[in-house]
Amino acid sequence: MSTPDKASILVIDDEIQIRRLLSSTLVDAGYSVLTAESGALGLKEGAYRRPDAIILDLGLPDLPGIEVLRQLREWSHVPVLILSVFGEEDRKVEALDAGADDYLTKPFGESELLARVRVLLRRPKPTDEVANAVYGNIEVDFLRRLVSVKGTPIKLSGKEYALLMLFSQHRGKVLTHRQILGEIWGADAKPQTHYLHVYVRRLREKLEEDPDEPVHFKTESGIGYRFVG
Amino acid sequence: MAGCRHPHHPVSPPVHTFEVVERKSPPFREYAEVFVVVVAVTMAALFVAPSSHLSFGIVYLIAVVTLSMRVGRGALIFAGIFSALMWDLFVIPPVGSLAITSFEDVLMLGTYVIVAFVIGRSNARIREAERAERVREQRASALLHVARALAEAKTFEQAIDIALRQADQLFNGDSVLLLVTPDGHLRASNGPVDRYNETEKGAGEWAWTHGAKAGRFTPNFPEAAGHYLPLMRAMSVVGVLAVYLPDETAKSLAGFKDLLEGFAAQVAMQIEREQLRVVTEREKLFVESEKLHRTLLDSVAHELRTPLAVLSAATAKLGTQNEANRADLAAEIRTATHRLNRLVANLLNLNRLESGTLKPRLDWCDLRGLINEALRNTADVLKDHPVTVTVPPGMLLIQADPALLEQAITNLLHNAAFHTPAGTPVTIEGGIKGATEPRICISISDKGPGMPPELRDVLFPKFQRGKHALPGGLGLGLSIVHGFVTAQGGEVVSGDNPGGGAAFSIYLPYHKPDTVPEE
Repeated sequence: MSTPDKASILVIDDEIQIRRLLSSTLVDAGYSVLTAESGALGLKEGAYRRPDAIILDLGLPDLPGIEVLRQLREWSHVPVLILSVFGEEDRKVEALDAGADDYLTKPFGESELLARVRVLLRRPKPTDEVANAVYGNIEVDFLRRLVSVKGTPIKLSGKEYALLMLFSQHRGKVLTHRQILGEIWGADAKPQTHYLHVYVRRLREKLEEDPDEPVHFKTESGIGYRFVG
Repeated sequence: MAGCRHPHHPVSPPVHTFEVVERKSPPFREYAEVFVVVVAVTMAALFVAPSSHLSFGIVYLIAVVTLSMRVGRGALIFAGIFSALMWDLFVIPPVGSLAITSFEDVLMLGTYVIVAFVIGRSNARIREAERAERVREQRASALLHVARALAEAKTFEQAIDIALRQADQLFNGDSVLLLVTPDGHLRASNGPVDRYNETEKGAGEWAWTHGAKAGRFTPNFPEAAGHYLPLMRAMSVVGVLAVYLPDETAKSLAGFKDLLEGFAAQVAMQIEREQLRVVTEREKLFVESEKLHRTLLDSVAHELRTPLAVLSAATAKLGTQNEANRADLAAEIRTATHRLNRLVANLLNLNRLESGTLKPRLDWCDLRGLINEALRNTADVLKDHPVTVTVPPGMLLIQADPALLEQAITNLLHNAAFHTPAGTPVTIEGGIKGATEPRICISISDKGPGMPPELRDVLFPKFQRGKHALPGGLGLGLSIVHGFVTAQGGEVVSGDNPGGGAAFSIYLPYHKPDTVPEE
């Protein structure tokens, strides 16, 4: 079904209308789409068809979405986008920490969905192969560890630079508080989340035009941060 | 806003004290009294007028009659015989001998003895009747007092407490109330409950299951320490009254029987009244919650119908319209779906609040970030209102549940957008207020019509909606704000915006975060 040049996406959702809508949106955008109406079927499809990305609804009738994700992660690194409804911050964080790559809250718009899918399918490039990157006004020279805004060099502390590196590696994707704290401060000695907020604030003040209305370092309330390049 | 509730201290009325039975002096004291009086009269007769021995019979008679008002029957008989002997021995000649020489003296002594006995006996009878009457009266007044105290008691617990203390006073013992628990066991609920121990259970249970007295003074479990009276109401046993009497009171239980039964009847009535009250209360609550659910269902149905009507009309027209009109229709559909989404979110939130499953997860969050998120949620409804945000420069880290606080701010912004005319400004202010006890304050104020004063106090309860409110509110919004903020240990205050309009402020406890090192 899936031609080699088209990325294939597996949609696991028990609602036929959502499956239909997602299918038509994704097909229109040039993807090939597989669908499954239950967690068990979804796992089977995932194993046989090896899709390039999976869109998984958290509220499935047979298996909890989080359980599908855990079983999937036992043998696959396929990117997973979680669909959830309003007011499930805890479940979203749980799914993200369990290996989901991003989430979308229902109801969502078409452009939002396609942007997430694009980020999901982007092949991560190892940072040492990239010499430099430009995010709006921000320029990063990875080789010489130099950061500048509109050509003006900016001095970043060690932790601030590490944070910026982490964000740029996961550009466009949400990172939970726990993931960031674990990466930057180490998995064992985890300081409180306010450390993270303070460091992100410092990055915003140094790199954003208006630190109160950031365009790059976005807050995902109650979940984490998303770096938009 | 919410009035401070003072802890309630129940003040139980004092126990009415009285003695049921007139205290009798011990017998030996009565005999001693008789002895002293008779000896004194005899001495007087010897010293004062040894010659007129006959007239002294009158003095003896007066002494015996007087004693009859003070002493019991036995002592009185003793008084009659003893005084006759003394009179004969020491006053009637020949002095020092029981022999009587003159017929006149025999006659006098005989008359004296008969008169003394008759007067003494009738006096004693009158006294006994009087005492019985007094006891009856006291018991009646004791029961009356218990009944009145029970009627005046504000709570069931208080009533039972009064009744039991009164019983303790009355019977000079310990009274324990045994009640039937919802799962069908008899349990000591009031009074010195320790008295109803394992060894006593048999008697108590027997009285309960058989509806008859058991324990001490009865053929059933006579070895038990307590006397168990079933509390009967309309064919059912509502509980058991256990009375533990000290030995001296116990001897005269016969006299207490009626009083005890009357008392038990009073307590039984009280329990039945309480049971009826509980049932009525539950029914009332049920009816009320039914009414509330109907109101909710009505308003939800109404709120759902409007966007659904828009959706169905707009989608029907989509196929027939030109490109420009289609864009308008799409905008209408988007607005309607947002409204539906908001309604569902509010209902879910309400359910979380009502079911008690809402557990705030406090974490550090950036106040400005939360406000930005809330503004993003309300961008579509606030597009016709200029919005000003004022927060302290830099970052204000606060401890809150980000999702709940964001929702609360979102709801207040929605209210401001819906209840004010287009073009009027909305202001959001965030900061720390108070020097001694700093609190985070987030206030949202508008320049709309403001709140009618009569609505101020009833603003936060569920489903309340201002009479002048525009449609689209459902009134759930504010109760969710209230619930979410209270769950995080804060409060919501509504007031006037100086210069016109309404203002709502969210207050939350403030904790200063540790300083974060530069590294």
